[in-house]
Amino acid sequence: MTISRRAPEKVTTGHRVRSDVPFVVGLCVLSSVYIVLIAGMLLADLSFTTPANFLAALRSEEIRYAIRLSLISCSITALLSLWIAVPIGYLMSRYPFRGKAILDAMLDIPIVLPPLVIGLSLLILFRTRAGQFIERFVPMTYAVPGIILAQWMVACAFAVRTMRTTFDQISPRQEQVALTLGCSQSQAFWQIVLPQARRGILAAGTLAWARAMGEFGPILIFSGATRMRTEVMPTSVFLELSVGNIEAAVAVSLLMVIAAVLVLLLVRLFGCTAALETNRI
Amino acid sequence: MKSVKLYVVAGSAVALATLVFLLVWAPGTGHQSNSRQLLTLYCAAGMSHPVAEVAKKYQDQFDVAIRVQYGGSGALLSNLRAANTGDLYLAADASYIEIAREQDLIAETIPLAILRPVIASAKGNPKRIHSPRDLLRDDVRVALGNPDAGSIGKQTQIAMTRAGLWEDLKQAVQSRGVFKPTVNDVANDVKIGTVDAGVVWDSIAAQYPELEAGAPLIEDPNFLMEVTIAVLRSSRQPTEALRFARYLSARDKGLKAFRRHHYTVVEGDVWEREPQVLLFSGGVNRPAIEDTLKAFEQRGGCKITRVYNGCGILVAQMKVGERPDAYFACDVSFMDQVQDLFLNSVNVSETDILIAVPKGNPRGIASLQDLAKEGLKLGVANAEQSALGALTERMLEGAGLLKGVMANVRSQTPTADMLVNQLRAGGLDAVIVYEANVSQVREHLDIVRIDLPSAKAVQPFAIAKGSQHKYIAQRLLNAITSAESQQKYKTAGFRWLYVSDKP
Repeated sequence: MTISRRAPEKVTTGHRVRSDVPFVVGLCVLSSVYIVLIAGMLLADLSFTTPANFLAALRSEEIRYAIRLSLISCSITALLSLWIAVPIGYLMSRYPFRGKAILDAMLDIPIVLPPLVIGLSLLILFRTRAGQFIERFVPMTYAVPGIILAQWMVACAFAVRTMRTTFDQISPRQEQVALTLGCSQSQAFWQIVLPQARRGILAAGTLAWARAMGEFGPILIFSGATRMRTEVMPTSVFLELSVGNIEAAVAVSLLMVIAAVLVLLLVRLFGCTAALETNRI
Repeated sequence: MKSVKLYVVAGSAVALATLVFLLVWAPGTGHQSNSRQLLTLYCAAGMSHPVAEVAKKYQDQFDVAIRVQYGGSGALLSNLRAANTGDLYLAADASYIEIAREQDLIAETIPLAILRPVIASAKGNPKRIHSPRDLLRDDVRVALGNPDAGSIGKQTQIAMTRAGLWEDLKQAVQSRGVFKPTVNDVANDVKIGTVDAGVVWDSIAAQYPELEAGAPLIEDPNFLMEVTIAVLRSSRQPTEALRFARYLSARDKGLKAFRRHHYTVVEGDVWEREPQVLLFSGGVNRPAIEDTLKAFEQRGGCKITRVYNGCGILVAQMKVGERPDAYFACDVSFMDQVQDLFLNSVNVSETDILIAVPKGNPRGIASLQDLAKEGLKLGVANAEQSALGALTERMLEGAGLLKGVMANVRSQTPTADMLVNQLRAGGLDAVIVYEANVSQVREHLDIVRIDLPSAKAVQPFAIAKGSQHKYIAQRLLNAITSAESQQKYKTAGFRWLYVSDKP
């Protein structure tokens, strides 16, 4: 990691510019506290497991199923989150309307609520007449679609927040110019705003994906922990811990870390390349 | 630029469709045969190893799919209550089953294993922790189950309060230890080494090779909890659910897996897909229990072979070697004779002995003494073959009327229902029977009550010591002593005696 230091400007006043070194050192020290802690946790995890545990975890049909289900369900969740987060974020950013503050607060509810409460609320919701009607077509309670719903309930809130900030930061000026040049609102959105929001969309999608990957509380309550059916990676960790198999739990946790880091790196790499191409256009 | 909209919409739709395809295509998701019956079992996560093993075998053997839902016992209880679906619930210990019972979520229970709290420390016991008192030492860090969250915590509190150590232990844990929500959390802490000792169930300690199970928390052999599987009221397929519960609790099936995983198991029944239970019952009980037996058979997927007869005959059969799984006597005196073959008996009901006469009481019989009048044609039960006969003889002897009354006896039968039929057919002037024998035909007869304390019979139920179906017999007793059955007893002319030992 290289940190470029701003070149000191010449000052004509009698004020003497102090060295930036203490500031940068302070930044590094404070940042390193957190980073060292993260690295320390991972190292401690590594010390509690062996390559044999990893292999055993990977050989386990249940855990392989959980990895696959986690990766697919998180990707669906991320995509669905974007489908909802982009329009909500745009609406909240551009249009003033009555009750906006209340709606804004409501959108944060899934972030504020304890995960267990979300799971319980979903469970109760699908016991109602409306919920039962939906279940006739798509089984939700204790089923795979329920996992995606549980992940999506939380992940989408984070994506919405990110998209709202993204659209807030894009100046409406270009849109207004486009409108004066004869574009419709829809054309201005698709052709002016959305390309500019590309990085934000990528960030929102990544955040939703990562949030969904670690989601556990609502899934346990709403989808259960049935092996080879509704078992995602955090469920595997929970099940292994429940029988005192800490080594396997740690191995699965580290597999989660590896999977998440790989996917996030790929997305960011792809995101940066795409952003560069956009800039070239 | 115009194609941005197309790219975004079509691209994301294609991506989503691909992902959904992958999800559906993934082996195991929703591909379980739809034609198979599906049982949902809520199972305490700590029990996952033996249960998964047994469930797999059962699925392979029978055309039933078992969906096991793992979680903490308490969380599962909330889940099954909120979802109001599912067939079976296996909690880590019986305290959750009791809560579920209080909430009317449970129909039947079958015990599987026994748990005792012990002090667990790291292998080799480096801190030399040998008794509950050692947990109070300043150099010992202790993990306990939270008394409000799980049963191990609750039981620890009860045991330590009994030993007079709870307040000190609580203080020691608060100052340098930790309260954890589940017993596995406590065991994990001892395993990782964040604490020196923890109170866990003996079977849990045995499952951790890194742990050493030390002293029992309390020196009382009766201080234990049961692991129990329950069939839920929400089950839409109780017969299939019960069948799996029986398989899981069978000594030659599921319990073998529990034993392999270091649980101290209960005796358990012998597995049979459709078990046959042999019930010996005095004839008097038949009107009160027949409907209950039929419902029990239907729900439980088992067959009860009933042998209704005079208790004297039944006792004679048992004395020559017949071995029923359960025996429901007409009177305690006929239980005492074979009590050594049975576990403790339970008194279920009592019924009065009375005189039945034809409608209008043409011979004007008003008391037991009147039966000694000359010219009467009486019917009594055979004293050798039936409890009623023996009780009648004892009663008459006590009243000094045996000789006089017996002189009028024209009919002696092994069961009282035959006497009632003879009376109704007009062959007799009076018969001495149980109130339960005439309750169904009261409009055709009159009754004369006998004002003697000995004019009653108490019906006890007992399970055979040598039965291979003790637990089915116990559930049968539970069905006979249920509130629904109690109503049938009252209609059939019995008084209810059974008092549940559960609070």
